[in-house]
Amino acid sequence: MIEWSETHLAIREMTRRFVEAEIVPKLDDLEHGDLPPYDILRKMLATFGMRDMAQVRLGKALAKVKAREEAIARGETPPATVEREASGEEVAMQMIPIIELSRHCPGMVTALGVSVGLTAGTITSRGTSRQIERWALDLLTLDKVGAWAITEPGSGSDAFGSMKASARRVDGGYVLNGNKTFITNGPYADTLVVICKLDDPGSPRGNEPKDRQVLSFVLDRGTKGLTQSKPLRKMGMHSSPTGELFLEDVFVEKDRLLGETETVSYRTGVKDTFTSERTGVAAMALGIVEECLRLSLEYARTRVQFGKPIGEFQLIQLKIAKMEVARMNIQNLVFRMIELGRAGKGLSLAEASACKLYCAQAAMEVALEAVQLFGGNGYMAEYRVEQLCRDAKVLQIYGGTDEIQTSQIARSLLAG
Amino acid sequence: MKILVALKRVADPDNANKVKIPASGDKVETAGLEWKLNPFDDYALEAALRLTENGKNPKARVGEVVVVTLGPKECETQLRSALATGADRAIRVEATDEALDGRLVAHALRAIVAEEKPDLVVMGKQAVDGDNNQVGQALAELLDWPMATFAATIEEEAAGSVLVGREVDGGVCTLRLKPPAVITVDLRIVAPASVYSKHTDKAHKYADGVRFAALPAIMAAKKKPLAVKTLAEVTGGATPTASYAKFELPPARKAGIKVKDVAELVQRLATEAKVL
Repeated sequence: MIEWSETHLAIREMTRRFVEAEIVPKLDDLEHGDLPPYDILRKMLATFGMRDMAQVRLGKALAKVKAREEAIARGETPPATVEREASGEEVAMQMIPIIELSRHCPGMVTALGVSVGLTAGTITSRGTSRQIERWALDLLTLDKVGAWAITEPGSGSDAFGSMKASARRVDGGYVLNGNKTFITNGPYADTLVVICKLDDPGSPRGNEPKDRQVLSFVLDRGTKGLTQSKPLRKMGMHSSPTGELFLEDVFVEKDRLLGETETVSYRTGVKDTFTSERTGVAAMALGIVEECLRLSLEYARTRVQFGKPIGEFQLIQLKIAKMEVARMNIQNLVFRMIELGRAGKGLSLAEASACKLYCAQAAMEVALEAVQLFGGNGYMAEYRVEQLCRDAKVLQIYGGTDEIQTSQIARSLLAG
Repeated sequence: MKILVALKRVADPDNANKVKIPASGDKVETAGLEWKLNPFDDYALEAALRLTENGKNPKARVGEVVVVTLGPKECETQLRSALATGADRAIRVEATDEALDGRLVAHALRAIVAEEKPDLVVMGKQAVDGDNNQVGQALAELLDWPMATFAATIEEEAAGSVLVGREVDGGVCTLRLKPPAVITVDLRIVAPASVYSKHTDKAHKYADGVRFAALPAIMAAKKKPLAVKTLAEVTGGATPTASYAKFELPPARKAGIKVKDVAELVQRLATEAKVL
């Protein structure tokens, strides 16, 4: 793939028109007024037929899970877990709306991605057919808002090692305790996947927190003992509400344990989740960089200092040239991901980490340079690069920090 | 009902400041311009789609919309977009803007109409690049068909006639046309209660504005038929009768003046601007 196709451009044009009509006029409320993003996102999913597409995709996934469960019930060996399937233009159809949203409102992507990608995705890939039917469709259509909770005040990059949240077996189910933080959609979520460790004094592997089995549970809003905080104040991504969760002796029935078995650890296969999370960041970075460059070009052409447009000064030209280099690099990575998707392949974890590391850093650098190019105006919210700059920073932190990406690239290369 | 919708791509009207004219002044520089569908033609397409569906169930089409444009290959982007939005077929006549005038376009459309035999031809009241406002009227004349211009509402009646509301100074004038007919539309044609096919309940309200194409429809538009014709095939030997003599940009604005008080303002308005 060397350029966007006519179909891609049509998708871009359509989503751009939606963003400009439905989101841009509400940016101030989303950015400074705690307007939750979900109504706009629901409208977007309905407008572009994404609801119907999600339904079809889920139907296929569900059929596979059922076939697998039936094979096990018959005592047969089920087929190996199916490879991730993205056919034809599916990757492009996901990425282009992400790019267009990110030009104005990257937080929307996070709110949507966590509900539809992470939460529904986790339930679909790990749940039983009953659990998928119970929760996934409402999440994919955003009729219900989803949250996925792993991070805790004391466990960030070392997500599993330092995790304190616990699940204790009791009659008929489990009792959960713990605190989760930085949870996207946490304040508004209706369906929450909460990751905990099994507190099992009789376990043969010992009951030291670091050795405990990792399990995940699906909770509903309003479950007794579950408290969802108000949105936390944060640097950027204001349109994506982030909160804390408090679990105090939350009783859950056995059918809320994802997979309905303790034998599959949540640690297994979590790399797939990380890989898909990391590829989304490339599309977000491209949207931010394209918009910063567009705004910077417009400003450099029209802002006059010392009697000429500032675009005629070489130090400004340097910034613009660096932005274009970043834009081309990120766009090429996005093209590669689309091409891999068409071929039914995905990135390895090392490649996904490398892409995420580069794209996040490049988006941050470009956004900072854009603010600098705009000078005093750039520091003012009115000129928009200020928001994109604050939003870009989180790309280097969430979904694995730059430092974690760096060590994962090196370690997986060294492991051969 | 079968409707022919004539479309034209125009330089993005939101980026009009990008339009450049070379020193010779004989043309508009088109390199680097972004192209969009003429907004009034976009409204015409929306009106045609509303007339060929039941608004409650727009996926089940009850008529046919054929879109046609005259222009270079790149115009197919706009045609594909119209197909994604709901049009059933597209026709492109190979041509460049320089080789056309309103009369010639009307001649070309007449030939397409003869072939397609639509019940209605619907188009924007004018293209926002040249603002000529000629083609619809010239086409109706060539076809000797009834015509309604600047339509704000269209309602298909059970008997097959159409009621067209035109907003005029001080009120609304409603025309009853018996198809086949030519209708050119104004911006209010895309208001929620502006267009009703005979299948759509009058209580139905459309979303304001033109509709969006769903992503699967954009993918499917690639497979919808798009025919290409040469200009010679459709003009029947007609040639342009108007040619562009000269283009010039508006003069640069001069700096204004500052007045020290209201008295001076009034005095200058009276003596210099002569508006008081």
